[in-house]
Amino acid sequence: MSKINNILENKIMPVAGRIAAQRHLQSLRDGLILTMPLIIVGSLFLILGFLPIPGYADFMAGIFGEAWLSKLLYPVGATFDIMALIAAFGIAYRLAEKYGVDALSAGAISVAAFLLATPFQVSFLPDGAKEAIMVGGAIPTALMGSKGLFVAMLVAMFSTEIYRLVVQKNIVIRMPDGVPPAVSKSFIALIPGFFVIAIIWILRLIIEQTSFESLHNIVGELLGKPLGVLGGSLVGSLVAVLLIQLLWSCGLHGASIVGGVMGPIWLSSMDANRIAFQDGQNLPNIFTQQFFDIFIYVGGSGATLALVIAMLFWAKSQQMKQLGRLAIGPGVFNINEPITFGMPIVMNPLMIVPFILAPMVMVITTYIAMSTGLVAKPAGIAVPWTMPPIIGGYLAAGGKISGAILQIVNFAICFGIYYPFFRMWDRQKLAEESGVSTDKNLDGNGFSA
Amino acid sequence: MNILLCCAAGMSTSLLVSKMQKSAEEQGVKARIWAVSGDAVRKHIEEADVLLIGPQVRYLLPQLKKLGEEKGIPVDVINTVHYGTCNGYEVLKYAQQLVSK
Repeated sequence: MSKINNILENKIMPVAGRIAAQRHLQSLRDGLILTMPLIIVGSLFLILGFLPIPGYADFMAGIFGEAWLSKLLYPVGATFDIMALIAAFGIAYRLAEKYGVDALSAGAISVAAFLLATPFQVSFLPDGAKEAIMVGGAIPTALMGSKGLFVAMLVAMFSTEIYRLVVQKNIVIRMPDGVPPAVSKSFIALIPGFFVIAIIWILRLIIEQTSFESLHNIVGELLGKPLGVLGGSLVGSLVAVLLIQLLWSCGLHGASIVGGVMGPIWLSSMDANRIAFQDGQNLPNIFTQQFFDIFIYVGGSGATLALVIAMLFWAKSQQMKQLGRLAIGPGVFNINEPITFGMPIVMNPLMIVPFILAPMVMVITTYIAMSTGLVAKPAGIAVPWTMPPIIGGYLAAGGKISGAILQIVNFAICFGIYYPFFRMWDRQKLAEESGVSTDKNLDGNGFSA
Repeated sequence: MNILLCCAAGMSTSLLVSKMQKSAEEQGVKARIWAVSGDAVRKHIEEADVLLIGPQVRYLLPQLKKLGEEKGIPVDVINTVHYGTCNGYEVLKYAQQLVSK
């Protein structure tokens, strides 16, 4: 058993630590967080537009007129649909902050660079015409949302790298002392800003000569598609969950680390579902952010709510009883650090087994339930990960009872997986408490920070 | 004394905040204790006398330690057992030790 600990401590931990501390991944994650409050607010309007109450649509149309739905969805267009624009700012801001250069300027330049990489054209189908024509002078909202997300990410990092290189090489216009700092700051941004804009401009001119026509097409083809396959497949999702659980088993925030890579993929598949849901079409994706946050991680990473319930009602040892009482409050809101560090699960080979097994089994059951149509797919509504179960499942499925039922079924499966391991651990704790020597094979508390 | 805690989203550490506040009140210690997410630390560190980070984000320690050195405040990871059991008393004691060093 201590062999496993050794591997975790000496092999996985250093690698995980380095990945987690990687500047660009951190900026990506922290920058994308900026879009979340907006998307959640947008979701609220989305839910109001599609309340699953019979006669609701007619009722609303009766009061607010036929166009009530499109009016209600205005805020959705200004939250979900500008996700990439916000991300372009947020990611550049966080990266610049880490380099110690002016973050606000870097963010603004990144937004400009992102727009520069985007052709200001939208396709328009005139009445009676057979083929759509391209109309200039319009920012295409489709590319400002999840479809432009990968381009926004790349441009934000690229432009901030140029920005900080130029600033660090000291190729800037310095103002004499006595000029207000805000003024001299704006001058400092001039030359790096020019470099960024010029490089992206040349890049665009070159790309326009190729068959791709725009950076969005290249990135979509070369990055978006393969990543979509990876994130949209059962195997890819199982690997992601395995990694999250392994990292947490070392006591590292797995969801946050893996989220740096998978987050943008799950976010864009979430938004693809949202667009389809809004248009009343079939939902294209199963694996979205909510698939994991809401249906798999009931009670937090590792789906530990079942374990907390076992502690509350079936624990014999004082330690586990107390921990159950401490952990149930946060557990309902899917926060489980008291369990992972308090039980502990971290570096505890006995508890790591169900901790990894349970979520992986649930990925499979949830996938089967959704792909067979037994349960509604996540509707692209950004339900925050702290939403308590049952309500969370109901909302994430787009106001379908099947979502709540699936959470209950998953909870039961999870309980079945955790319970035998919980009993063993509880018995061991009870033996410790009553002064009997413990089983030497179960090397549990061998972890210290 | 101003104690800043930090974890991924600032949520699980906020559990610890209330326990530490209770412990401070019981001991008659005047302390301002608050929790923020990892990306917000830079905004809050100016007001802090000590920064403690959750063990699940201990990969942030090297960069936050550097930040702490710039501001002249101690930075360290919270003991995992104290963290897991929400032991406000012990974590408060540790924060006091770090500051008085």
